[in-house]
Amino acid sequence: MKKALLTLLISGAFVISSCKKSLLDQDNPNTLTQEQFWKTESDAQKGVNAIYHMFYQPGSWSRWIYFRLDLTSDEGFSKSPWIELADWTRFQYVNYNFWEGNQVSYRDTYKAIFRCNQVLTYVPDIAFADQNRKAQVLAEAKFLRGLYYYYAALLWENFPIVTTLQSPTDMPQQSSLAQVWAQVEKDFSEAAAVLPAQWNGNDIGRPTKGAAFAFLGKTYMQQKKWGDAKTAFDYLVTGAGASFYDLVDYKDNFRAENENNKESVFEIQFSDANKTAEGDGPSSNMGNNRAQFFAPRSIGWSDGQARNWLVGEFKKEKTVDGKIDPRLRYSLFYPGLEADFGDKTYGRSWQWDADEAWFRKYSRDYMRSNEDYFSQVNVRMIRYSDILLMYAEASNELGQTAAAYQYVNRVRQRVNLAPLATAYPAIGTDQGLFRERLKMERALELCGESVRWADLKRWGDLDTQAGVAKVALRDPDFNNFVPGKHIRLPLPQLEVENNKNLKQNPNY
Amino acid sequence: MNKKLSQGRDTNIPPNSIAKIKDRIFKTVFTMLLISLAIGVKAQQRITGVVKDLSGPLAGVGVQVKGSPLSTITDANGKFAIEPAKDQKTVLIFSFVGYIKQELPVTGTQPLVVTLVESTADLNEVVVVGYGTQRKQDLTGAVSVVKAEDVKKRQATTVAESLQGLATGIRVRGGGQPGSEAQIQIRGLKNFSGTNPLYVIDGLVTTANRDFNPADIESIQILKDASAAAIYGTRAANGVIIITTKKGVEGPTKIDVSAKTTIQTIPRYKLAETNEFATLNNMAYDNANVKRQNLDLTTNTDWQDAAYRTGLVQDYSLSFSGGGKDNSYFISAGYFDNKGAVISTGFDRVNFRVNTKTTKGIFTIGENLAISNAKADEMSGNPILSVVRLLPTIPVYNPANPGGYGYGDEARARTFGTNPVAIADLEDRTNENLRIRGNIFSELQLLPSLKYKVSLGYETSRDHYSYLRKPGNWTLNQAYDPAIINENRGESSTILIENTLSFNKDFGKHKISAVAGQSYQRDKYAQIWGTKRNILANPSGGYYDVLDQGNEPQTGGFKNRTDLISYFGRVEYNYADKYLLNGVIRTDGVSRFGKDHKFGVFPSVSGAWRISKEDFFKVQWIDDLKLRANYGTLGSSNIGPYDYIAFINTFPTAVFGPGQSVQPGATQVRLANPDLRWEEVTQQNYGLDAAFLKNRLTISAEYFISRTKDVLLQYPLLLSTGNDGGNPYVNGATLGNKGFEFTVGYQDNRAALKYGATANLTTLRNKVIDLGYGKNKTFVGNTVTEIGQPIGMWYVLQTDGIFQNAQEIANYKNAAGKVIQPTAQPGDIRFKDNNGDGEITNSDKVVVDSPWAKYELGLNFNASYKNFTFNMDWFGSFGSKVFNGPRSVTDSFSDNSNYRAGIQPWTPQNPNTDVPRAFYGSTINSRGDTDRWLENGSFARLKYIGISYNIPDQLIKKIGFRNAQISVSGQNLITITKYTGLDPEFSNNSIFEKGYDFGAFPNLRMVSFGLQFGF
Repeated sequence: MKKALLTLLISGAFVISSCKKSLLDQDNPNTLTQEQFWKTESDAQKGVNAIYHMFYQPGSWSRWIYFRLDLTSDEGFSKSPWIELADWTRFQYVNYNFWEGNQVSYRDTYKAIFRCNQVLTYVPDIAFADQNRKAQVLAEAKFLRGLYYYYAALLWENFPIVTTLQSPTDMPQQSSLAQVWAQVEKDFSEAAAVLPAQWNGNDIGRPTKGAAFAFLGKTYMQQKKWGDAKTAFDYLVTGAGASFYDLVDYKDNFRAENENNKESVFEIQFSDANKTAEGDGPSSNMGNNRAQFFAPRSIGWSDGQARNWLVGEFKKEKTVDGKIDPRLRYSLFYPGLEADFGDKTYGRSWQWDADEAWFRKYSRDYMRSNEDYFSQVNVRMIRYSDILLMYAEASNELGQTAAAYQYVNRVRQRVNLAPLATAYPAIGTDQGLFRERLKMERALELCGESVRWADLKRWGDLDTQAGVAKVALRDPDFNNFVPGKHIRLPLPQLEVENNKNLKQNPNY
Repeated sequence: MNKKLSQGRDTNIPPNSIAKIKDRIFKTVFTMLLISLAIGVKAQQRITGVVKDLSGPLAGVGVQVKGSPLSTITDANGKFAIEPAKDQKTVLIFSFVGYIKQELPVTGTQPLVVTLVESTADLNEVVVVGYGTQRKQDLTGAVSVVKAEDVKKRQATTVAESLQGLATGIRVRGGGQPGSEAQIQIRGLKNFSGTNPLYVIDGLVTTANRDFNPADIESIQILKDASAAAIYGTRAANGVIIITTKKGVEGPTKIDVSAKTTIQTIPRYKLAETNEFATLNNMAYDNANVKRQNLDLTTNTDWQDAAYRTGLVQDYSLSFSGGGKDNSYFISAGYFDNKGAVISTGFDRVNFRVNTKTTKGIFTIGENLAISNAKADEMSGNPILSVVRLLPTIPVYNPANPGGYGYGDEARARTFGTNPVAIADLEDRTNENLRIRGNIFSELQLLPSLKYKVSLGYETSRDHYSYLRKPGNWTLNQAYDPAIINENRGESSTILIENTLSFNKDFGKHKISAVAGQSYQRDKYAQIWGTKRNILANPSGGYYDVLDQGNEPQTGGFKNRTDLISYFGRVEYNYADKYLLNGVIRTDGVSRFGKDHKFGVFPSVSGAWRISKEDFFKVQWIDDLKLRANYGTLGSSNIGPYDYIAFINTFPTAVFGPGQSVQPGATQVRLANPDLRWEEVTQQNYGLDAAFLKNRLTISAEYFISRTKDVLLQYPLLLSTGNDGGNPYVNGATLGNKGFEFTVGYQDNRAALKYGATANLTTLRNKVIDLGYGKNKTFVGNTVTEIGQPIGMWYVLQTDGIFQNAQEIANYKNAAGKVIQPTAQPGDIRFKDNNGDGEITNSDKVVVDSPWAKYELGLNFNASYKNFTFNMDWFGSFGSKVFNGPRSVTDSFSDNSNYRAGIQPWTPQNPNTDVPRAFYGSTINSRGDTDRWLENGSFARLKYIGISYNIPDQLIKKIGFRNAQISVSGQNLITITKYTGLDPEFSNNSIFEKGYDFGAFPNLRMVSFGLQFGF
């Protein structure tokens, strides 16, 4: 016992003497500190890759953004039993803090912008062997920041611009829609100047010069700067980039096979490598949840579905050989799908209501009978047919209606439809008639691809009560739409309350 | 004291009434009477006798001859022998800690049989105050002592759960689920980051979590104010709970056994059955002009029956204790098993403990060692909400669904409610840990007044969590999942090394004691985890649930470490028991803060004046009167180990290229504040203690003011910062607490019927003095936290009744004549347009009420008569407003869920109701941010009632027992409240939303049967 005692006393004394303050300097053994990072080319590359990871997060492009862009528009709607979720697709915004409807997308937009701003703040001070590579990294970050601001402008409009790293106490000023558009134009222009025309090998999927010009054009389109838009699109349609782009087999735009094809101008690279939760944890999910949320009842959550008027529109015009427009087959699940094309829905015959339809684009029913949260199908954010139709639209708005025909025809020919002038001879060079037809051409080509909300806003169809009433004929949810109010989302109320520089959007 | 004894004799034993004697007197006291009545003094002066109390012989009782230095102590059987000089009036004095001192003139037959009575307010009681003890009468700070018996009598998994209502200023909210931890809060919210106090078990800084067996407790002291807790400095801001475990006492081996069985039932909602449900559901659809559901009227499922069952707790403990002159031992074992009141939940625990101590010369060495293994079968999902969200028309089983369970159906029952039977079967979660906790200490009595002590503490827990997902669905439209296994193993360890030097000396009327010490603590935690999918099914049933099976592996792991170095000292000065002064200083350095902020210094001073000891104090009816005051500072560093360091998240990967190659990414996700520093609580405490009526009536009153500055909190950041992964800590706010505690106790042990009552009252008001980041207010959920107001006030729209007709809607205008709710229909809610703009918007929200109780009351009664003992504890909390989350589901009608039985939505035929018209598919009448869901959260609850019977000595002696007791008790049997939720005593972890009942697991009703015996 004396021995034990002695040991104790000695160890006690030892501890007193060894209790150095250096014991209190414990570094995090788990990961790099902020100070250790942003030193090398590899750090810069990782930093920019982390921005793309934001595509895989639910407020961004793995889930909820489709509710805002596809379901809020007149192409889609929600019959979800989750009433609040459905209310947010039909302009019944009660609680502005509703996470799934508003806050999470607002939050994830800023998360992505934070990642962009880190690259744009730190990378300029990193020494690169290849200056061109450095410029490209910065250009990627600018492209992605522009992309997130583009959608922020579309959704909230008066979205505070943040281009610097924020401290916990920073309260950014409110920005006007015009200011946000200016920021988007700047980012895309600067990116377009630097990004390469094509990427090779394991870099395929990063934005190209064409992608930057495409989004720059889209940005101008939303502001009705038709000339600028057409100039931006020139690169892809008539300019140096034209040879990189073409139209492909229509269905190849929505499947896991033949991704990053010639029609793809920019697409999100999804993967089912990690069947785990989304977020920033280890091995987090890189798949898309959209199909799980839009799959028909008893297959998926069925929180969103297509408006049935689309089926009628598709059937109004037959192909030159008298068949149903093949795009219908790959766009929608609808009651006549099996009769018209012999396709079942996830292996089932039609078991839903006769006036219903579901989105088929990006679904995996061609390869499996159910869905999950890990869809590997890339989302084509912008594809060449969209460019062609916008090019036609810009031309028409500039008074070059006759010149616009060829671009629409190219899109129609791919699916074996007659030239526009043949099918609709009444249009002629009437700018208004051409515009109206183009609206439908866009719906038939692009329905369910998250462009309709921007289209409706650009066309001004939601600016007047009369315009809204017309849209409401296709989608009765628009009976709730108040012009001047629901054209933009409310800002999350907590953000307004906690940032004294911020005012809630008008009429909210 | 002399007076006391004679008084007792007069009252208790009238010599002429045998009947009364029979009624009132313990036989031992009767013997004393005979002794005192005996005439004549024996010539021989060897006096022998036995000293006992109600439960048996007492060892170690001091026996002294009055007026002589001659003394002895009783042996293990309570026997003593003493030989005073011949004297006609020998008077013996019997004294023992915790008992009333007795003086007894030796006049009768021998052996003497002396029964000591436990004191109710023994001023010599010793209180453990951290690195030493103090006499209770010398206390200058706010310390509550809870008796082990009071804790033991309740059926609780953790110590915290059993403390409620036993001391002032302590607020406890039980966890409810098997193996869940209770929340405890001492004297209000000091910060936003947590309320758990520091636990010190036998000198080891730890947590008295579910691994700790409450049966091992000898005593609990709760240090509530700064002066009391200051010796623990940094981590003591939320108070300190000191637990001393049992030690052996000199004498032959004592074996104690206790067994307790408890039946638990969960409170239930009264929900609609199919017929009533269908009527209401159809009404909601009809009103909304939506085609009715094709309800399955042939099914009538009571989901509460499906999800709940009668819980059962079995709690056994066994201990051996004893010792010789120089050594002692205490060995115990315990087994605790709880079959949960929710299906597929449970908890069991096995405990062992060995406490030993031995002394040789000036050396003392001892150890305390506890080993426990705890395993919880955890609840999946939240059945408390599921039973409400599921419809009675859904069957429990449905073979048509994957997995075979019933759940929502698009055409027949649209709900995303989770089938609790399905999730219980399809998801298995178990959490098991082995904990070893112990310390070894050695003392060296260098001088009679100087003692050196070194203590080495070690605690480790090996944790194993496993999760098994079986294929199958539990809710409508669920995504497909294959069989999945996830396992994680964690390991925590704490090393604590302490050196203390203590000095104790009396210089005449001056008493000085001092402690100086140093301590070093290191905490480590590490975890690894792995997940596999598509694990192999066992053809004989179930799965091979090991990580070798399956595919698509994912793994991970991390580790943490915190170091703490401290130096501390305390000086106590006592002049003639009249003036008491106490000073403490502690400095702590912790690795959790950056270079310039690691160390904090936390001093405190306190003093007390014992007025009743003054010569001028001649108030006969006041036995004791003491005034106390103190002031001190405490610290807190309740944050993660590396929170001050901004780190890079290396997980955000991205795929590129035709082969979808995964490429690494790295970025900062979470912001950090690099200059984090100690949070400091400054407290003032003023107290008064008094005793009257021969110490039968005691009162104690305390008033305290505390102010916490640099509160470490995870302040919600603006979304525009882009921060995620948790809000960074910041030394943000300043909080104030003011409170008053009052305890009055009466204990009368003079008659055979002994009885007593204690009432304690706590009032507390917290106030935000300053908010971080230069803000005036912050909003979280339905609450606002504003400078000058308590934390988390309800901030909602106000309802103003129901529109009865179109006229009322049209007439409801603002000052400018604008119709405020033009789209409303009769039966809809009228909201107050508080800003007068003629519209109902978020800017009409106002602060409507406080989630905090205005006062809390504890009442304890005890009585004993002959061999019966009765106890009853009430706890009440009054004046809070709480948000009934589950009611916002059952009463909403906008979404499908079951409804409250008997609910009366507004209809033109039934306009006299406070429930608006049922309307499916719109949240207009059921929005979650209105005062419609706020309710009065006041309640009074019978926390405990119990009766026990000590089997008479004659009976148990025959079978060789020392004592035996049987008892029956109940917990939470009566609750008086207007709250319509399951349990007004719910808990919510969010400090900003303390009053929000999200469907919290309720406190269970329990009935226990216990058996306890010793031999």
